[in-house]
Amino acid sequence: MSFDAIVVGSGACGGWAALELAKAGMKVLMLEAGSHIDQKDFHHTFLYQMDYRGHGKPGSLRGYSGTERNYRIMLDNDENPYTTAPGTVYRWIRSRCLGGRTLHWARASDRMADYEFKAVSRDGHGMNWAVSYADMKPYYDRVEGFIGVSAAMEGLPQFPDGIFQPPMPLNCAETIFTAACKSLGWPSTPRRLAQLTRMHNNRPPCHYCGNCVNGCDVGAMFSTISTTLPPALKTGNLEVRTDSVVAQVRMNKENRAQGVTYIERFTKKSVDVDAKYVILAGSTLENTRLMLLSAKGGLANSSGTLGHYMLDQIGGGSIAGILPKLKGGPSRLDDGKSGGITIPNLQNIDEKTARKDFIRGYVMNATGGQTEYPMFAASFPGYGSEWKKEIKSRYVAQARVWIAGGEMLAQKENFVEIDPDMKDHWGIPVLKIHFTHCDNDRKLIADFHEKAEELFRKAGGEIMSGLGRGGPAGFPGGPGSPDAPANPPNQPRQRPLSGVIHEVGTARMSVSPKDGVLNSFCQTHDIPNLYVFGGNAFPSTGDKHPTLTMMALTVRGCDHLIEQSKGKIS
Amino acid sequence: MQSRRDFVDLIVRAAALPGAAEFFSTWALATVQHDHSSSAAPPEPPLLRDYTPKFFAADDFEALRAFTEILIPTDDTPGAREAYCAHYIDFVLQASDSVPNVQKQWRAAMASLKDAGFHSANAKGREALMEAMSKPERDHSASHPAYAAYHLIKQENTFAFYTARAGMIEALDYKGNSYNLEFPACTHPEHHVL
Repeated sequence: MSFDAIVVGSGACGGWAALELAKAGMKVLMLEAGSHIDQKDFHHTFLYQMDYRGHGKPGSLRGYSGTERNYRIMLDNDENPYTTAPGTVYRWIRSRCLGGRTLHWARASDRMADYEFKAVSRDGHGMNWAVSYADMKPYYDRVEGFIGVSAAMEGLPQFPDGIFQPPMPLNCAETIFTAACKSLGWPSTPRRLAQLTRMHNNRPPCHYCGNCVNGCDVGAMFSTISTTLPPALKTGNLEVRTDSVVAQVRMNKENRAQGVTYIERFTKKSVDVDAKYVILAGSTLENTRLMLLSAKGGLANSSGTLGHYMLDQIGGGSIAGILPKLKGGPSRLDDGKSGGITIPNLQNIDEKTARKDFIRGYVMNATGGQTEYPMFAASFPGYGSEWKKEIKSRYVAQARVWIAGGEMLAQKENFVEIDPDMKDHWGIPVLKIHFTHCDNDRKLIADFHEKAEELFRKAGGEIMSGLGRGGPAGFPGGPGSPDAPANPPNQPRQRPLSGVIHEVGTARMSVSPKDGVLNSFCQTHDIPNLYVFGGNAFPSTGDKHPTLTMMALTVRGCDHLIEQSKGKIS
Repeated sequence: MQSRRDFVDLIVRAAALPGAAEFFSTWALATVQHDHSSSAAPPEPPLLRDYTPKFFAADDFEALRAFTEILIPTDDTPGAREAYCAHYIDFVLQASDSVPNVQKQWRAAMASLKDAGFHSANAKGREALMEAMSKPERDHSASHPAYAAYHLIKQENTFAFYTARAGMIEALDYKGNSYNLEFPACTHPEHHVL
């Protein structure tokens, strides 16, 4: 059977592509490498209700980046290895299941602004995006309007407003940090989250359990399975095949994508399927891996840039401690929304805010209060009843400031390639990652630490640990998250700069085919019926979380594809 | 030094052992039965009351149990006793065959406790020993031959306690992981100004 379109992957972009194309009447096949999973599979579970307190059955989680609560929506690294070049410190955190990372993402949904899309015009580094904010705005509107984003309007040029539901209320720690921001003259706003505060498109509002990274049991947070897949399936035009590991894009003699070859996950049987359009939406680096595997030198690589300019926003920065104002107070539902406040980028936005020592900027987040487990307790000096009382007293006063999006500079020497010496469980060659940070990245994170400490102190905070802790539970670097740091709290230690599961680039968009792999619609310059949705198109990271922009690019690209399928454009 | 990852590995291995489900369900039940309104210990289920340590020798287990209960005592809220922290540590360690360094580290810890006289000391003596061996934690110029044992047991006892219902709910009054109609906004005027 032949399809109008094959969509590889079911994450944020795969879900949107399937929805848009199926709604347009195209017959769509979605291929997902992982298993089927349903909202009904998600539950509230306390650590003490699990035999192994979150650490899973013997040996079963060794290869996973997740916990007993969420390993099913993560990926088995033993089956899906990758390699890194000497000097590379990079953890590639992935999901393989229906819905992909939308099932456990941080839900931060911030629009990028022109100072990010066109940063090169200001500082000369890298390549401008082939789109502007004006190009993207209608698509941000469409995506936000459909998925539901709770946020406050702020009127900040570096943090464009959108179509919002009411924001989530601030807890006590966030209120104190907001007051500190005001005192410093910094803007701040409730974190913009793809998490409902009102009923929306038959989805209920959040019930503030704080379980977001383990899969939302009611669909109040945006995910493919709660939001884009149901209406896509309702069209009758979408077929979903899970446990289907795509190994290659097949080409025909006319330099068009013919279809894909996938391997059935459990039988290892190879299956060919054909379509008029092939859409890669299996996450940034997996998309690039497929393109590198599908032709000598890589598919659609006349520019020679495929695999290059790999990026991830800069991770590794946070400050934690307590807010004495809250010490000894009553227990409250502080972590029920896994939210916080956002402090938009303050620097290198325009001439007035230009820094001489580094280019680009970063966003900060802050939150605090009660958490499921008091991470600081084991290292807090003392014992006995007094110690226990002090733990409880500080437990409700915990506070954290962390970097939410630090812009990493694009460098051609950060790249991925096929490793000829290693294959995955299905015999498909794996990626080798070359990834290092530059001086500008280090200066930026150093500046973050200064600013974070300034904010913490302005709020009256007592810093308990310097570096080495991530955000609150559920966020990258936070307790229970896939990349929670192994080093204990209260033992400050400079972690190497890392990523924050925001990998982008490797098939950047460009106006000219000689400068990049994709055009502004995420269509490959070289192969008209091959589209790549994900972070691949990003020529730079910006300082916003990338998923909203990935989804907006997908919807924009699908509009273009639909026009193309009608013969209106080539 | 044993890492958290090592300990987690041990937990995972422990779960594979015959009787794991029975052990954990009894243990979970015990932590649930504690009455928050009273400092009285919950009734001990038979399996825990008659528990035979699998990793530790009987005298080491008794010492460990006493040690964990001094670290996190029962007062107006439950302590390590009600959370069966020593049982948990023993059960996890018995699965440590493939991590001999961890087993060795714990045996060394218990030996240093014994050498320090903890096993044979009475309650008052144990309190005094705990005070002495914990001193390097507060005073970096101080040292004690059993400090490493203190540090190791404290780390894992803290984990065992605050991941138990007794620690998480009854001692800390954790409110999350629940269904709520709304998120409680800060209502304190004093938090809106510095």
